[in-house]
Amino acid sequence: MTEMWSQEYWAHKGDVKLYMFRKRLGAPKPGEAPKPVFFLVHGSSFSGPTGFDLHVPGKPDYSFMEKFAEYGYDVWTLDHEGYGRSDSTDGNSPVAEGVKDLKAGMEIVARETGQNRIAVYGSSSGALRAALFAEAHPGHVERLILDAFVYTGEGSPTLRERAKKMDIWTAGNMRAVDRPFFLSIFTRDRPGTCEPGVGEALADLELSICNRVPTGTYVDMCSKLPVNDPTKVKCPVLIVRGEHDGIATEEDLLDYFTKLPTRDKQFIIIPGMAHVSHLGVNRARFWHVLKNFLEMPPRVDDIKD
Amino acid sequence: MSEKIVKMPVDPGDIVGEEHWAKKGNVELFLWRRYSPRARAASPDKGVLFLVHGSSFSARTAYDLDVPGHGDYSLMKTFAGLGFDVWTMDHEGYGKSSRTDGFSYIEDGVEDLKAAAPVVEEVTGQKSFAFFGSSSGALRAGAFANACPERVSRLAMAALVWTGKGSPTLRKRAEKIAEWQSSNRRVADEASYQAIFTRDVVGLTIPELPAAAAAAEMANGGGSVPNGTYIDMCINLPVVDPTKIQCPAMIYRGDHDGIATDEDLMGFFTALPNKDKQLVMMSGQAHNTTIGINRQRFWHVLNGFLTMPPRIDGTDL
Repeated sequence: MTEMWSQEYWAHKGDVKLYMFRKRLGAPKPGEAPKPVFFLVHGSSFSGPTGFDLHVPGKPDYSFMEKFAEYGYDVWTLDHEGYGRSDSTDGNSPVAEGVKDLKAGMEIVARETGQNRIAVYGSSSGALRAALFAEAHPGHVERLILDAFVYTGEGSPTLRERAKKMDIWTAGNMRAVDRPFFLSIFTRDRPGTCEPGVGEALADLELSICNRVPTGTYVDMCSKLPVNDPTKVKCPVLIVRGEHDGIATEEDLLDYFTKLPTRDKQFIIIPGMAHVSHLGVNRARFWHVLKNFLEMPPRVDDIKD
Repeated sequence: MSEKIVKMPVDPGDIVGEEHWAKKGNVELFLWRRYSPRARAASPDKGVLFLVHGSSFSARTAYDLDVPGHGDYSLMKTFAGLGFDVWTMDHEGYGKSSRTDGFSYIEDGVEDLKAAAPVVEEVTGQKSFAFFGSSSGALRAGAFANACPERVSRLAMAALVWTGKGSPTLRKRAEKIAEWQSSNRRVADEASYQAIFTRDVVGLTIPELPAAAAAAEMANGGGSVPNGTYIDMCINLPVVDPTKIQCPAMIYRGDHDGIATDEDLMGFFTALPNKDKQLVMMSGQAHNTTIGINRQRFWHVLNGFLTMPPRIDGTDL
């Protein structure tokens, strides 16, 4: 059986060093057929490997990266500026800055894999980053998955609550995070959609790396939406939504979905799921939906759309 | 046009076909079953998949078609190969089922499905099934899910129309409403199939398909089909109430399908009360997704919907 293989990298955005992490089955070998690259973009409150490569004591199958590595993908993630192991600056790492991070990360992916066009997934504000990256660099994004996404924010229960603290989010470029905050992410929408112990494991890991995260994406989501233009996304798109996710209304997401010009698009709601889909009790359904989207057979007709 | 041959994902080599019959009063209804003992043994959790045909083909023309030399066309064999117990039926007035004086409206199709369900249950031991319907078959399947929710575990609908508002195909079809109403049947031949396959766009079905479909339809007892679903789609929509569909549902829409507008289908999707729902829009597809050149993309999506892992939490979440 092929062993799980991982590697750290550093991307450079000017003087800012950005931490990257990669997992796949087996080390790359010269001359082998390339595995398809799947790039995971993190959200506002925890870094890439913490969210996407989490191991929960006594509970199997929480690593998103390992699951898709097992499916045959070359899985990458990146800590955005100010998060995890990446450099912190005076900036607050808003969504637009995340696009520059991804551009820098893409150069490393291309250098290491030879692939310049990849599948990209983003969760929460990571979905905003990923979509904006697809708008700005359509040549790099083969397929786009937006999870826990929000478009205009109209009617969002989560953003209504978050906006009450705008003075805190705008007072500095960083905000403190602690164990109660991490646990609240898993219970704010619907207790029971995540197993006990998951929030604790995530808090343990993230707090061992840092106890502050940038405020930029919170400011964007509370006061600057929409930051995305669906009409500029060219590739096939999957919007996946947890039934209980309070970050957006269905109407808001369907409005975005409707405006996407591609005719290869899917809107999938998964019940029993809240904001952090990939760490929920029903993550197997979430993986199933993503895998099916990523593995869509190619068209065999000659019609040019 | 270069044709790329599409093969079914899994061919276990032992797919069988069985004929069964249901009775709706005096009307004899033909049922057709395909399954692979090997694939069933390997995937015992995959249950019955019941395919509901549309307005212009009987069941085996729509879902068990052979087009020799052009790859695999049978949706029944494809999903039998994947491990499902696949059933379909000829609705009243179609194929081998009884021809009557009736028009075989959508509501008649619901009665047909009510008659078929106990037969399937008796043979398979299963009480509820996954349903797939295309075009007016989607309307029949949706209306059946309204009427008998306990029989429908999952519902996939392709080439669906809800209200019909803004539909280019139905606007055109309604120009002949007097003709559809003047007789209970219309001719179904190669020319009519040619028109169906090319009305949205040319190039998404092979040129040989109309002749193959017409030959299959004649072999299945056809040559003409009832007008009821055409009449329903022109003047009686909506005939399905999305708010009464209780099971997980998927709506699959081909980008060139003129039977409905995006807005119409989005309205239907939004009204579905079960939050286990999917709206899939696909390029390279017209009205007849199941026998189009890109049918393997449809197979992929349908299989994904049917094989969704079960929820492991309680429904009280």
